[in-house]
Amino acid sequence: MNRIQRLAIITRLMDCLDEKGSWCGETHIQKAAYFLQELLRVPIGCQFVLYKYGPFSFDLRDELTAMRADGVVQLCLQPPPYGPSLRTTELAKRIQGQCPKTLDKYGEKIAFAADRLGNKGVSELERLATALYVTREAEHGASVDDRAARIRQVKPHVPIDQARESVEWLDKIAEEADQAV
Amino acid sequence: MAKVVHEIRDPIHVFIRLDSDERRVLDSSPFQRLRHIHQLGLTSLVYPGATHRRFEHSLGVMELAGRVFDVITHPDAVTDEIRQLVPEVAKENERQYWRRVIRMAALCHDIGHLPFSHAAEKELLPAEWDHERLTCALIESQEMKEIWQNVTPPLRPADIVKLAVGPGKAPDLNFSVWEGILSEIITNDAFGVDRMDYLLRDSCHTGVAYGKFDHYRLIDTLRILPSPPTGGDEEPGEPALGVEEGGLHSAEALLLARYFMFSQVYFHPIRRAYDIHLKDFLAMWLPGGRFQTDLNRHLQTTDNEVMAAILDAARDPRRTGHEHARRIVSHEHFRVLYARNPEDLAKNIEAGEAVYKSAKDQFGAEHVRHDKSPGEGGASDFPVRLKDGRVVSSLSVSDVLGKIPAAAFECVFVSREREADAKKWLQKNREKILSAPKEDEV
Repeated sequence: MNRIQRLAIITRLMDCLDEKGSWCGETHIQKAAYFLQELLRVPIGCQFVLYKYGPFSFDLRDELTAMRADGVVQLCLQPPPYGPSLRTTELAKRIQGQCPKTLDKYGEKIAFAADRLGNKGVSELERLATALYVTREAEHGASVDDRAARIRQVKPHVPIDQARESVEWLDKIAEEADQAV
Repeated sequence: MAKVVHEIRDPIHVFIRLDSDERRVLDSSPFQRLRHIHQLGLTSLVYPGATHRRFEHSLGVMELAGRVFDVITHPDAVTDEIRQLVPEVAKENERQYWRRVIRMAALCHDIGHLPFSHAAEKELLPAEWDHERLTCALIESQEMKEIWQNVTPPLRPADIVKLAVGPGKAPDLNFSVWEGILSEIITNDAFGVDRMDYLLRDSCHTGVAYGKFDHYRLIDTLRILPSPPTGGDEEPGEPALGVEEGGLHSAEALLLARYFMFSQVYFHPIRRAYDIHLKDFLAMWLPGGRFQTDLNRHLQTTDNEVMAAILDAARDPRRTGHEHARRIVSHEHFRVLYARNPEDLAKNIEAGEAVYKSAKDQFGAEHVRHDKSPGEGGASDFPVRLKDGRVVSSLSVSDVLGKIPAAAFECVFVSREREADAKKWLQKNREKILSAPKEDEV
C-alpha cells in the first residue's frame, strides 16, 4: 500500500469516527486504527507497542504529524481542560477521491470499526484496545479471566471487572467482524 | 584520595558533574568514540561553527536528565494522586536506583550513532537496523555490562536500554507507567532533555540564536501530571510529563525554537545536499555499500576515517566515489530544482515525488536527487497544571502552541551541469507534472 492509499484509509476512518460522534483526538484515532489493522486486517503498515492508553503506534503518530504538515488534517482546539480534536480537510476528500478502489475494498471494515468505537471515550478505548492486544499476545483459546488478569498486569489502574467486560466485548466484536466484513 | 565527583566544563551547562561510575562509562570505548562523531554531520560546511560532537551533547543530556529527575520526583512536586498511580516515585530505594539508571541512559543514548550522525542512517544500514538498535546492542555489550555490574547496586542493562531509546525504539520491552514517564525525560517529543540539549547546543555552535529558550525555568516547572480528559470522557488519563502553568511560556519558547531550528538549520537545503553526496560516497566506499552492524566494526568507524577517505577520493579521480567526494570537498553540491510548497501539495500530495520521477527520466538518475523529511514537531499536547490546581491540555490554554506549524522538508536537487536546462524544463512542464495521479498510476 502506498502513502496516498494509506492517507485515504486513515482520513476516511477519521470522517467515519466523526460521523459517529467521536471526539476524534489522536488517542481515538490511534485505537481505531489499531482495531482496523489488527482485528479487521486492513494493512495500514503501522507497528503498535503497548504504551500510552494501550497499543500505540509511533509510525501513526509521525504520519499524523506529516498529515498536519501537508494540510490533510487540522487541529481543532477545544476549551480547557480538553485536548484537541483532529479533522480532515478538503485535501483529504480529494485524496479519498483519488483512491476509489482502495476505499471500495476496505470501506466496510472502516465503517465497522468507526461504528463500534466512535461513541467511546479514551478510558474505554484504552481498555478495549488493550483487551485486543493481550488477546493477540495470548495463546489461542485463553480464558476471559486469564486475559483480564493480563490487562491488570500491564494496566494496573484498570479494575478487574472492567478488564473482564472489555475482553468479553472484544470476543463479541471479533465474532461480529468475522460475520459482517 | 581519589576524586568521587568529576567536573567537566561545558559551554552550555557551565559545569557537568559526574561520579566515578559515570566516569567509567565516559572512559568506555563506545562513549569515547563519540568524540569523533559530529553532532550535525556536514553542517559545518554551511554553518562553520557547527563542529561540535555527540560526546559533549551526551554529557549535556546526562546533566539535564539528572536535573529533571530531581525536580519531578521531589516530594513537594508529587501529588497524592500521582503517588497512587506511580508508587515508585515515593520509594527512596527505587528513586535512587532509577536516578542512576536515567543518568547512565542519558549518557549512552547516542552511542549507536553512525559516522556523521543521521546523515546516512536510513539507506546505509541493513533493513530493521537503526542507530537506536545499535545503541541497545552496545548498552548490552560485554564491555558495558561489566560497568553496570560494578555499580552499587548493579544496574540492569534492560532498564538502561528502556530509558535510553524509549518505547518507540524498544518494541519488545514492556514499559511500566513509571518507566514510560522516565523514558519521556530523555525522549519526550515536546521537552525531552535530548531535544533541550541539542537545541541549545546546536544554536550556540551554529550561531543561530533562534534555538535558545529558558530551560532553567522550564525544568523547574516540569511535573508528573495526569493527562487531561478528552471530550466525553471525564476520567483523568495516564500520568505523563507536563508543566506547571508558570512554565508554559518556557515550553512554548522551546517548541518555537524547535520549529525555527528545523526551518533554519536542520532543513537547510544545502546542508541536505551535502548529506546526499555523503550518502552517495558511502554507498560506494563501504564494503557491500552498507555499514556493518558488528559492534567492533561499528566502534572502529568514525567521522575521521570517512573524512580521510573523502579527502583522498576527492584528490584522485581513480578512487572509488571520487565524483561525490569532489562535490563535498570543492563545495560543488547539487542545487535545488524544486522545493515543497502548500500550493503544489494541495494539487498533488506527492508533488515532490512527481517532480523527482519526471526529472530523473528527463536528465538521468545521476543528475537528480530527492530528499524528504515528512514533518517534525508542530502543536504539542501535554498536561498543564493551572494555579487553581486543574490539569488541562496545553493546547486548550496556550495562545501559541496551536499555531506552531510542523516543519517539513522536501527538495529535488539537480547537478550544476543540468541546472539551467532543468529549471527551464520544469517551468515549461510544471502543470503537467504536478497533476494528481489516478490510483493505478501511483
